[in-house]
Amino acid sequence: MADDIILSIRGLRNTFGDQVVHNNLDLDVRRGEILGIVGGSGTGKSVLLRSVIGLQKYESGTITINGKNNQDLSMSDAKAMRAHWGVLFQNGALFTSLTVLENIEVPIREFAPMEPKLMAEIASYKLAMVGLTPEAGYKFPNELSGGMRKRVGVARALALDPEILFLDEPTAGLDPIAAAEFDTLIKSLQKTLGFTVFLITHDLDTLHTICDRVAVLADRKVLVTAPISDLRQFPHPWVKAYFNGPRGRAALDSVDATRG
Amino acid sequence: MTEITLKDNHNDNGRSILLKGDMTIITANNWRSKLNDIAVSNNQPVIINMKGVRNFDTTGAWLIYSTKKRMEKVGANVTIGDVTEKQTALILHVGSYDTATEKTAPTKNKWLQSLATMGASAIALFEKISRLLEFLGVVVLGFIGSIRHPGRIRWNAMTTQFEEIGLKALPIVGLLSFLIGLVLVQQGAVELKQFGAEVFVVDLVGISTIRELGVLICAIMVAGRSGSAFTAQIGSMKLEEEVDAMQTIGLDPIDVLIMPRVFALFILMPLLGFYASMMSLAGGALLSYIQLGIPLDTFIERLRDVITVKTFLVGILKAPVFGVIIAVVGCFEGMQVEGGAQSVGEHTTASVVASIFLVIVSDAFFAVFFTAIDW
Repeated sequence: MADDIILSIRGLRNTFGDQVVHNNLDLDVRRGEILGIVGGSGTGKSVLLRSVIGLQKYESGTITINGKNNQDLSMSDAKAMRAHWGVLFQNGALFTSLTVLENIEVPIREFAPMEPKLMAEIASYKLAMVGLTPEAGYKFPNELSGGMRKRVGVARALALDPEILFLDEPTAGLDPIAAAEFDTLIKSLQKTLGFTVFLITHDLDTLHTICDRVAVLADRKVLVTAPISDLRQFPHPWVKAYFNGPRGRAALDSVDATRG
Repeated sequence: MTEITLKDNHNDNGRSILLKGDMTIITANNWRSKLNDIAVSNNQPVIINMKGVRNFDTTGAWLIYSTKKRMEKVGANVTIGDVTEKQTALILHVGSYDTATEKTAPTKNKWLQSLATMGASAIALFEKISRLLEFLGVVVLGFIGSIRHPGRIRWNAMTTQFEEIGLKALPIVGLLSFLIGLVLVQQGAVELKQFGAEVFVVDLVGISTIRELGVLICAIMVAGRSGSAFTAQIGSMKLEEEVDAMQTIGLDPIDVLIMPRVFALFILMPLLGFYASMMSLAGGALLSYIQLGIPLDTFIERLRDVITVKTFLVGILKAPVFGVIIAVVGCFEGMQVEGGAQSVGEHTTASVVASIFLVIVSDAFFAVFFTAIDW
């Protein structure tokens, strides 16, 4: 089971003009794990995500998801592949002209057309699943708070029961309580539904509480992928500063305290 | 699509429903209709057998859960048989998120509702007009303030607008006006030739373009080109909270965003209108020569007889008014944007429609006015 790789990146290279963002980047994501991606600003975390979900062409290397290379697929294969993943963008990226329920229904309409009543039922329990009240379903995205928008984003990402969930800084901009609740939500959904999570974050609490492994992006590649407890000893100045700085230690202390 | 089958067996112990195939969101629609076809009776023991179910996701779990709920409502004894631990967990999971309390949509009187819609849009219209008037007042105050304290005028922003609205519009406004001149002569020539009065096309093209069309066509072009741009720019700036940021820094959005645009159009519209008229005349002169053989010097001589200073003033005096209308409406609609991308689109449309409408309406007033004073 440990070697059941759902997403594999080999020799990825991305450049913008003269600037090399990724060079020879390797990364494996195991099925059913929560993998956190960390890295300083400008190390190409978002570029990595965009390459994986096919929003950006990469210069060289291969990215295979479920054994299929994501860059040389036919249009229909690429579309079919998209049914297997869900993406939560940083600010939710909800469609502003649709209500919350309609937003959740968009992927269902596209991939599995069905009678409206069943679709409404599915959208409603997905909405409840991410912890929102039924009334929220009839609101428009601009009437929601940032935290609620992210929850709707998760509900939309989970509409088709994807195998992988990509999250781009899900707790950024949330207050600590909402952020902690969001972490718990992702963890519990992941436990029940068994999907894989690819999580870009800066939030040390998130890393400590829900991530099985953490991949560190620096020097244009993935430096190391390991459980967070092993990373503190990793001899790289950035990694040391990140996990052993005041915030890193505080997050660790709080986790230790809750675990008793 | 994967094949699904449902076997409905009756026997002494009750009823057993055998499910076979994938039970996922892809097959959900088929399953729903098949499951809904099964009618059960009170106290009937029903076993839903899941042995043949392969892939199973939350939607499948929801189907099982909702079917069980429906059957139990009529009083059947439903059990789920041959179910794996994982499937049970999923069914419990989705069941715990069942919020579908029988919602009945409130029934509304259709007549009352359409009446209410009419009333609401009438109120919205009045509110919009009052906001527009308020905005106009703010612009007038800004205008007076800028004249009394020229230090408030943002010269850099204004010159940028000159370039965007004026210089970059020259090719398209010129081309269109030129074509209009051509068309006027071409159409006029056909009619006037019948009377041997070809030379009067010069009157036709001269008076119509200088008095009316030059400025009007130009205003419509500018409304479509620049009025819409004002709305979209200011609207997106509002969405991104740039306008709020300006205010907190101490910059007045009226001074920074709106006055430069109003001033720029106020000054540029007469210039663009004049340019458009000249291009129309050029087009007219060219086709007069080609089609009717009127040489350029005859054309100009005739033009000199027909076009008085008054004719020229009638056209050019309207231009600044049109410019201000377009700028004020464009900026006003931009400031009304809120919510999201949809709102930007709606207000941009509204901006172009309203400014062209107001330009043509005010043009009609000008026509009545200038006729009344015998110009």
